[in-house]
Amino acid sequence: MKRSTRLLTVTALLASALTVSASAAELHVLNWKGYGADEPWAIEAFEKATGHKVVNDFFNSEQEMLTKLRTNPGLYDVVMINAAFTGQAIDENLIQPIDTSKIPNAADISAEKAQSPMLNRDGKTFGVPWVWGLTALAINDKSFDTPPTSISVMWDEARKGRVIIRDDAVEAIQFGAIASGQNINDIKDMEAVKAKLTSLMPQIRTFWSSENDWNQMVASNQIDVGTYWSGSADRAKTQFKLPVSLVIPEEGAVAWLDAFSVPVGSDNVEGAEAFINYMIDPEFYVEWVTKVGAPVSANDKALAALPEDSFNRAVMGSPEVAKRIQFQAPITDEQRESYLAVWQELKVNVK
Amino acid sequence: MKLTGWLEGVGRFYVGLLLAFLYLPIVIMALMSFNASPFYQLPFEWTTHWYSDLSRNNQLLTATLNSLRIAVMTTVIATILGTAASIALYRYDFRGKRILQVLLFPPIAIPWLITGTAMLIFFYGIGIGRGLHAILLGHVALALPYVIVVVSARLQTFAPELEEAARSLGASQWQVTRRVTLPWIMPGVIAGALFAFAVSFDQFVVSYFLATPGQGTLPVEIYAAIRKGFTPEINAVSTIIIVVSMGLMLVTARFFKFGGDR
Amino acid sequence: MTSAQAARKGIRPALPLLAPAYLWLTVAIFLPLSAMAFFSFMTDLPMAGREWSLTLKNYAAFFSTSLYLTLLWSSLRLGLEVTAWCLVIGFPAAYVLAKVLKGRAREAIFLLVILPFWSNGLVRIFSWAMVLREGGILDTALNAVLPFTVSIDLMYSYPAVIIGLVHSYVPYMVLTCYLTLQAIDDSLIEAARSLGASRRQVLRRLILPLAMPGIVAGAVLIFVPVVGSFMEPRILGGRTGTFYGTVIEDQFVAVFNWPLGAALSFILLAVVLLILAASAPILRRAQQ
Repeated sequence: MKRSTRLLTVTALLASALTVSASAAELHVLNWKGYGADEPWAIEAFEKATGHKVVNDFFNSEQEMLTKLRTNPGLYDVVMINAAFTGQAIDENLIQPIDTSKIPNAADISAEKAQSPMLNRDGKTFGVPWVWGLTALAINDKSFDTPPTSISVMWDEARKGRVIIRDDAVEAIQFGAIASGQNINDIKDMEAVKAKLTSLMPQIRTFWSSENDWNQMVASNQIDVGTYWSGSADRAKTQFKLPVSLVIPEEGAVAWLDAFSVPVGSDNVEGAEAFINYMIDPEFYVEWVTKVGAPVSANDKALAALPEDSFNRAVMGSPEVAKRIQFQAPITDEQRESYLAVWQELKVNVK
Repeated sequence: MKLTGWLEGVGRFYVGLLLAFLYLPIVIMALMSFNASPFYQLPFEWTTHWYSDLSRNNQLLTATLNSLRIAVMTTVIATILGTAASIALYRYDFRGKRILQVLLFPPIAIPWLITGTAMLIFFYGIGIGRGLHAILLGHVALALPYVIVVVSARLQTFAPELEEAARSLGASQWQVTRRVTLPWIMPGVIAGALFAFAVSFDQFVVSYFLATPGQGTLPVEIYAAIRKGFTPEINAVSTIIIVVSMGLMLVTARFFKFGGDR
Repeated sequence: MTSAQAARKGIRPALPLLAPAYLWLTVAIFLPLSAMAFFSFMTDLPMAGREWSLTLKNYAAFFSTSLYLTLLWSSLRLGLEVTAWCLVIGFPAAYVLAKVLKGRAREAIFLLVILPFWSNGLVRIFSWAMVLREGGILDTALNAVLPFTVSIDLMYSYPAVIIGLVHSYVPYMVLTCYLTLQAIDDSLIEAARSLGASRRQVLRRLILPLAMPGIVAGAVLIFVPVVGSFMEPRILGGRTGTFYGTVIEDQFVAVFNWPLGAALSFILLAVVLLILAASAPILRRAQQ
């Protein structure tokens, strides 16, 4: 008797674990964690307005995002893709064309971004630009009386052991390209990049991989300066009240564009369109910037809704900055692998 | 070897030191769940804020329950299957036995990242898909080698004459196993079960690949949380788990002997 | 004492006991890993209509630069050091647990030893980060006690990786050693002592050989995963935290080069198995 009840319990437990139900009105969104689309207040407002139930899923690297799309056809309805990767997603037939006429706010997106060749192919739109930002420098305000203007601060002897950069081959190599005065999308002199990065290594405290790493390092006052994303620096300041400021060095910075796409096989395209429309809506954007901190919206109207002296409008929008930044172009797999080989070698040699 | 009194004292002190080392980060973790700074900043500022946040965080709570459920099921299944296999490997001699033993190493040696990716591709390919059932399938497989290795280590101390003697007295195979073998290896089985629970409960890589959105496990949620901010809510939930399991274990220890006789 | 004494021939009676575990392992591990092994011989993944053919270049890549060999070597060293520390720290504790402590105290401590690794690995690593960094808990505590100022900054260094890994794995050694130590009959030890064996002789000739299966199991369960570890080195090691496991991770996470990542993992597996095979005779001798 006792044994049979035990067996029953185990079977019941098994059975309950095996049943995973999915309902039809759900809207599956794939994005970075903590990147706008999963803000509780935003989801609540969106669900109330449209009746679609949002289910968030996250990725930790672009490669992982692509893998999730490849191995879960039909699961996701909206995916956020760095425009440099959109072409690859189109090539692999992972995302479908979007009817922008169903997305009213898309009309307000600045033309140069909306028509970016990275997002459009054969006259069809595969990605709706959402926000853009920079991979620039950020400083610990406590460590500087006047903010530095040059990228050379990273090599400053006085900052030794208090510098941080992201453990990412592409970002590191492109940073090295800027430091050695090259075009990030067409690196001619890889030796110069290597030399720059080799001399940077002794300066480095550790590598960061997530926003949270960076913020903790500043909170515990372990670093002075490092590479950082503009939206994240804004969030660190606004949401977490940390002494962090973004610096766009005179040598330049890497710019990226993030866009929303609809995966092939989505069973809720209508919901996806509504969600994308909501994400590029000025009202959502202003709230996102004020409450949390965000990168720069691709929607002109959303940007115009910010106060005139706000960082995203005054600094990021200034023509002075526009001249300095270089937008990231797509990178081939071969390039990425060769960048990784260079980066790994640099890291091994510091041991 | 009878140790003299003071040597025993040194021994006890040493175990105390080891426990201090083991619990240092756990204590820090628990303390930080009561610290106001979301970035674990000192000086310490008391708050229970993270616990009230946690009580409203359904996603984290669901994930914790999922984790517990899967870990318990993994423990039960892996311990039973693993113990059976260890007994077979100990008791019988057959061609290919060494190969079976060597085959236990790949799951331990190959980084979980690769195993997880392999499972994702394979399960997707043959239609098992993702979800809690896939996670359970993977966890049991990862825990099995640990159970088998641990139980086998204990079995090596077992005197086979005992089984022979019992059998010559007319005991059936099952009776021998139940009355003679199992009681002797019980400490090993318990240790194997504890291993299996730990492997499953702390397993994030494989779960990460096999979880469906909204149906994650606790380590998956924790791993995802490092992107946004590793809030002390995570410390809070970890602290609750440790305190509750410590309580459960001490209660079990009162009513159930498993350290072995003698 | 070998298991051959107890052995009975033939696989048939063993099947009902073996089949469930090995069937499960086959479906969930061996088949997926075989697929991965197959990938390691491919030029590209057979996904999304990519072109692929069979090749050995992923294995050749390992030998084409000194990078992977250097890293494999430092990972093996890391594995050995962590295993050695775990043995040195864990064995005496297991002995005390098995032979000195009695009754409820033993049961309770046995459980307390294993409990820490029910907490999340990532949370544990972050807690260590708080302890080890400059101005962290260890630094502050020492300076509060000591009359002079010391600066303790172990974070982002090799020792930090060792501390974090030993902390994670030492319970394995305590448990496996305990299992075999506890099985040693006290009267055996007493007999040896009364026959005039010194304490050291008893330890070397009696206790160590009898405890060997536990030591070996513990060492294997520690050495094998540590060689491929990547989380602890990455977070605690900082810029010195690049190991073999981290470059494998990169092939999967940073670039979509699974064939190379898989090839690197199978080389790791082969090396680990070779080491285990090479050390088997030594261990067997130690047991006799």
